[in-house]
Order: sequence, then C-alpha cells, then structure tokens
Amino acid sequence: MIPAQTYLLLSAAVFCIGLFGILTRRNALIFLMSVELMLNAANINFVAFSLQHGNLTGQVFALFGMALAAAEVAIGIGIILVLYRNFTDVDVTKATTMRW
Amino acid sequence: MAAFTYAPAIVLLPFVSFLVALFAGDRMPKGGALAGITATGGSLLLSIWVALTVAGGETYNQFVYTWVAGVESLQLRFGLLLDPLSALMLLIVCLISFLVHIFSLGYMNDEGETGLARYYAGLGLFTASMLGFVVANNLLMAFMFFELVGLCSYLLIGFWFREEGPPSAAKKAFLVTRFGDYFFLIGVVGIFATFGTGLFAPITQGGEVVAESFPVLAEHAVMDGETEAIAMLDTVGMSAQAWFTVLGLLVLGGVIGKSAQFPLHTWLPDAMEGPTPVSALIHAATMVAAGVYLVARMYGFYAISPTALAVIALVGGFTALFAATMGLVKQEIKQVLAYSTISQYGYMMLALGSGGYIAAVFHLTTHAVFKALLFLGAGSVIIAMHHNENMWDMGGLKERMPVTYWTFLSGSLALAGIVPFAGFWSKDEVLYEALIHGFGTEGGLGVAYLLAYAMGLLAVFFTGFYTFRMVYLTFHGNARSDTARDPHGVRWNVKGPLAVLGVLAATIGFINMKPVAELTGAHIDFLHVWLNGPEEGGWPALLSTDLHHYETLLHDVAHVTAGYPLGETTTLLASAGVSLGLALAGVLAARSLYAGPDPVEHTDKLGGLKTVLMHNYYQDEYQVWLATGVTYPVARAMDKFDQGVVDGVVNGVSSVSLFGGSRVRRIQSGLVSNYAMLLTLGLVLLLAFFGVVGGWF
Repeated sequence: MIPAQTYLLLSAAVFCIGLFGILTRRNALIFLMSVELMLNAANINFVAFSLQHGNLTGQVFALFGMALAAAEVAIGIGIILVLYRNFTDVDVTKATTMRW
Repeated sequence: MAAFTYAPAIVLLPFVSFLVALFAGDRMPKGGALAGITATGGSLLLSIWVALTVAGGETYNQFVYTWVAGVESLQLRFGLLLDPLSALMLLIVCLISFLVHIFSLGYMNDEGETGLARYYAGLGLFTASMLGFVVANNLLMAFMFFELVGLCSYLLIGFWFREEGPPSAAKKAFLVTRFGDYFFLIGVVGIFATFGTGLFAPITQGGEVVAESFPVLAEHAVMDGETEAIAMLDTVGMSAQAWFTVLGLLVLGGVIGKSAQFPLHTWLPDAMEGPTPVSALIHAATMVAAGVYLVARMYGFYAISPTALAVIALVGGFTALFAATMGLVKQEIKQVLAYSTISQYGYMMLALGSGGYIAAVFHLTTHAVFKALLFLGAGSVIIAMHHNENMWDMGGLKERMPVTYWTFLSGSLALAGIVPFAGFWSKDEVLYEALIHGFGTEGGLGVAYLLAYAMGLLAVFFTGFYTFRMVYLTFHGNARSDTARDPHGVRWNVKGPLAVLGVLAATIGFINMKPVAELTGAHIDFLHVWLNGPEEGGWPALLSTDLHHYETLLHDVAHVTAGYPLGETTTLLASAGVSLGLALAGVLAARSLYAGPDPVEHTDKLGGLKTVLMHNYYQDEYQVWLATGVTYPVARAMDKFDQGVVDGVVNGVSSVSLFGGSRVRRIQSGLVSNYAMLLTLGLVLLLAFFGVVGGWF
C-alpha cells in the first residue's frame, strides 16, 4: 500500500501551486482556477486519511468539498462578470476602489 | 373597618379634582373651583369617618400597591398607616383645604383673575400630595409625596409668573427646600440600607408582627443590643446609637427645609408672593407642617437619640425667637404672618425635641387653625385694600369690615397666646414640657432644653407684640389712605371660612386644657387620651406609635425625665402664668405704642438694630454670598479640573487611537493579491509560532 505521506506530499504540492497562482497572477480567471486547486488539495487529504483509517467520513467530506467548489465557481464567475462590466477587464489589480 | 377600605379615596379625590381642573377647568364654571370644593369636601367627610373609626379603637397599616418588586427582600410599595396621629392630620388638612377652596372663590374668582384652572389644579394636586404624605406608611412614599408637595408649592408661589417677584420667590422656595431634601434623600437611602425597610410602624396580622418597622428595629438595637441583623453598623464602624443619630439628623435636613427652620427659613417670607389663599393653605397650615409631622411620625426613631433631640429642641427654640424678632419691624401684613409662622413651627420643633409629643401635635393642630384664619383674614383685608399689603396704608378697617375684624382678632389672640384662645393652651403646654424636662433631665440634654425654653419664653413676648402691632395698625386708628377709607367689600365666600375658623380658633384649645385638667382632676385632656392609647397592649400599642411607647423610650434611652422645681401643680401654674404674663406684656406694649388714632413707626428708635431686622439679619445676603462667593469659585475650579485633567486624559487616549488608526488603515490597499499575501503570511507566522511553542521542531 502506498504510504499516506505520498498523498500528503502530493496534496501539499497542489496546494502550493494554487497559492503561487493567487499570489502572482493578475487574471481573475486564473485566480478562480488556483482556488480550485487549493480546494482539491484539501480533498486529496480527506480521501488519503479516509483510506488510512478505513473510515468513510473523509470521503463524504470530499464529496461536500466538490459540491462546495461547484457552488464557489458559480459565484466566482458571477463576480468576474461584474468585475468585467465595471472595469472592462478581468485584471484584479485594477479593481482597487475599495481602499482607505 | 369599612372606613379604611375607602381611605385611599381621601387621597384620590383631590387628585381627580386636579385632573379635572387641569384638563377641563377652562370650560367649567368658576374655573374648576367646584370640582376642588367637592373633592376636598368628600375627603373631609371620609376623614371624619376614618377618625371616628380610629376613635372606636381600630387602626390600619397595610400596603395597597407595589410598584417595584425586588428579587430578594426589598420592595417599594405604597401603603396606608391610619392611626390617631394621621387621622388627626387628615382632618386638619382636609378642613383647611376645603375652606381655602371656598375662600379662593372670593379671592381669585371674584377678583377676575385669569388662569384659574391652573390655580385650582395646583390646589388639588397639593391637597392630594399632602394627604398622601400624611397617610404614607413608609419613608420612601413619604419622601415622594414630600417632594410633590414642594413642587406644588413652587407652582403656586409662581402663579403670577408674568410679574417679576413670584417666579423668583418660587425658585427660591424650591431650591432652598431642595437643599434640605438632599439630606433627607440620603437619610432615606441610609435607613433603607441599614434596616432594609422604611416602614413607620410594624404591620401586624392577628396580633403577630409580619413586617417590622425601622423605629422598632432601631429601638431593639439600642435598648437590647440586637445589632447582629444590622450589617450597616460594621460598614460605618459606629455604635448603633451614633449611626441612628446620623440618620435621624440627615432626615432632619428635609424637616428643617420644609418647616422653614433656621438656617433654611429664608424661603418662607418670600413665598408670600403667591396668592394669599395659597399662603394660608401651604405656607402656614399644611405644607410647612409636613416637616414637623414627619418628626412626629417617626418619633420613635428620634426618641432613642438624645443628640438628635437636643438639636431639634435647640433649632426650634432658636428659630422661635429669631423669627419673632424679625416679625417686629415688618410693614406688610403677610410678612408679619410669615415670620410668625416660622416662629410657631419653632415652638413645635422645641416641643418635639424636648419630649413634648402631645404638645407638638396640639400646637400643630391649633396653629393650623389660627394661622389659616389669620392668613385668610389678611387675604380679606388685601381684597378690601385693592391688593395693597402695607399696614401703614391701612388703619380703621374695624368699622368697615366687622366680620374680618372679629375673626382676625380671635386668631390674633390665639397666636399671641391669650387665655382662653387656642394658642394659649398649646403654647403653654410646649413651654411647660420643655421646662419640666429641662429641670428633670441630667447632663447636656437638660441644659439644652432649658436654653431652648428660655428662647421660646422670650419669643412669647415678641409674639404678643408683633401680633397686636399688626392688629392695631390694620384695624384701629384712623384710615391712612383713600382705599382704607373706602374699602372693597367682601362676600359670603370670604366671610364663611373666616367665621368657621374664627370660632375654631377660640375653641379648639379646649381639646387639651391641661392646666384645668390638673387643677380640677377632670379628664378633659382629650388629645392626650387620643394619642396615648391604652396603658397595656391593645391598639395602637401594636403599631408602636402611641404616646405611652414614646414616653417609655424617652425615659429609658434618652433619660428624659420630668422635674418639678416647685411641685407639680405649682410648676404648671407658674409656667402658664409666666407665659401668659409675657404674652399680655407684649400685647400691652403694642397697645401703648400703636393704639392711638395716628400711630408712628416707633421701631425707628431701634436705629441700627432696625436695619438689621429689616434685612432679616442679612441671612439672604450671606446665603447669596455662600453661593456666589464660595460655591461658584469652587465649582469653577472643579470645572477646570474636569475639563483639563479628566477630559484631557480621555482626549489623549482617543487621539492615540486616531493616529494609530490613520497609519494602520493603509494596509487596506484594495489589491486582492496583497490581502492574499497578508493571509498567507499570517498563516505561516501562526504555524511557526505554534510549531515553536508546541515543540514540533
């Protein structure tokens, strides 16, 4: 059996890719994708521990995570549309009107 | 007992008349006077019923309404205490109020005053609150009605608010009595904190005490040493008697303000700016009596404190003399009466302080009658004189106003204390009690009594003098002005109340003719019997408000004992003879100086002393100086401290926050990536922190 550490390493790697995307990219769509990656890193952890402990709770949570991700994408795309309408661009660094 | 069921209506009827006069008075005939007359008449009838029931041996002490229900023991409730003292006071207040309402028809309505609805509303509210004060069975309720009475006094003194004098006098009355009430309020809180109850008398059911009263608790603490239940004594670190003295003196502050005793008497002469019937009702017969009544009501509390008794006696005796001297030189008829009122309340305080409980209640009763009479008589004169109050413009009114003259004379003889008019019997008893207790009591208390007695005795002469100076100047001799030659007539509504009170002033002293009772052995000291209660148990011994109980307390705790330097009967007669002789001397002195057809101002011969007396010993001046010269600078300094130091610290703290906020808010850049960066950094720092603390590495 593949040890749990392998899955954890995989999940950490996916999470860091997502984080890197958020911190460096300007395109809102890439933001959305990066968030998806981070969410799915968490899902990998759930499933991995579920397998490790022989307990289905983690898998159920992973399903919840996917449903959540779907909802999040729906809202996220809505936000991006509004962003585009207001600033004629999907560059997140241009929408800086809500500041001190 | 049926009378007691309807007793709350005694208070509520005048209150209803207040509401009626306030909201519908303008649309009613006589401006709401009829509602007031009906209500006070009804209250008078109910009071008579209550008094008859009390005379039959019943008393009543129950709560009727709870308005704050505390979690533990403390509850704030309205309740009625109907015992001989309050029944008597109910009669007095209702009778005087009823007569004053009728008199007002002549003084206000017939003179074409405006704002009558406001006037009668004020009278109604005043009567209701005074009656509420009289029947109150606990201190807090008494305090609330005490304040309401003060409010009504303010409203009525300032009735003619468009003139210059009345609003200022109203404010003065309000502020000066409020100054005393401030101490009273602290005393009320102190008594509640100490005893957990403000009841004047224990509530009993079937002979069992279900709620104890504070005078009885205090009595147990002082006499039997049962101080465990009173945690407050440990807090203040005083002996029970010392602490009760402090509480008693605090409450006395309110009494001194309301009963116009030195040094808070200055408001009463100014209060004469109000309509004369108001002066009769409020500033002579009833409201000013509230202070004295309060001391009588909680007499069991004062009886266990010799210091408080000495203070009361000395303040009373001094005020009696002090006010009487100022009355000697006044030119306005109401001013003379105002100072005589202050002086007479001094006598009542003197009596209460020196253990003469009956004497005080007796003088309260007779004074209410004859002083109301004198004020109403003065009101009649003022109507006749077209509202000129200066006695030097009067003279010779005797022939033109016979009813007023004879009734006024009856009241004056009563005030001066000439046998057999009411004032003689009561004032004589006051002085007699002070004298025998002064001789019998040992130590400082006895000396205080004798000193107070001496001042009271001296005041008798001055009383006779200023009273008859007023009578001679007003009614005798030649008319000194055109209005006095052709005075304005008065109608039945003025003469009726005067006649009733005139007869009463001559006869009410017969309810307690102690010298006659002593000499003949006849049991005609009815007031004594009324307040005394039975020797053993029964009513109102359960209430602990009977005279017998008070005398025991005075004797056992304060060691007030009677001493007869000349034997019992001779002392009584000598005391009566001396005070009557002095009163007659005063009257004759006034007669020899002022009885001629064209009297002159003999007081001018007093020279500088007259100036001092006319300026009322500069009492107002020094009180104004206290306010502007001392209190105001202190308040200014406090304000500086408050604005500078206290507010400075607060403002400094807030400016630090403002400056910090203006810097820190710059991280709110609006860039999503920055927020994400901060979140990530925060997470990393947290992880590192927990890692180091939790020992992961």
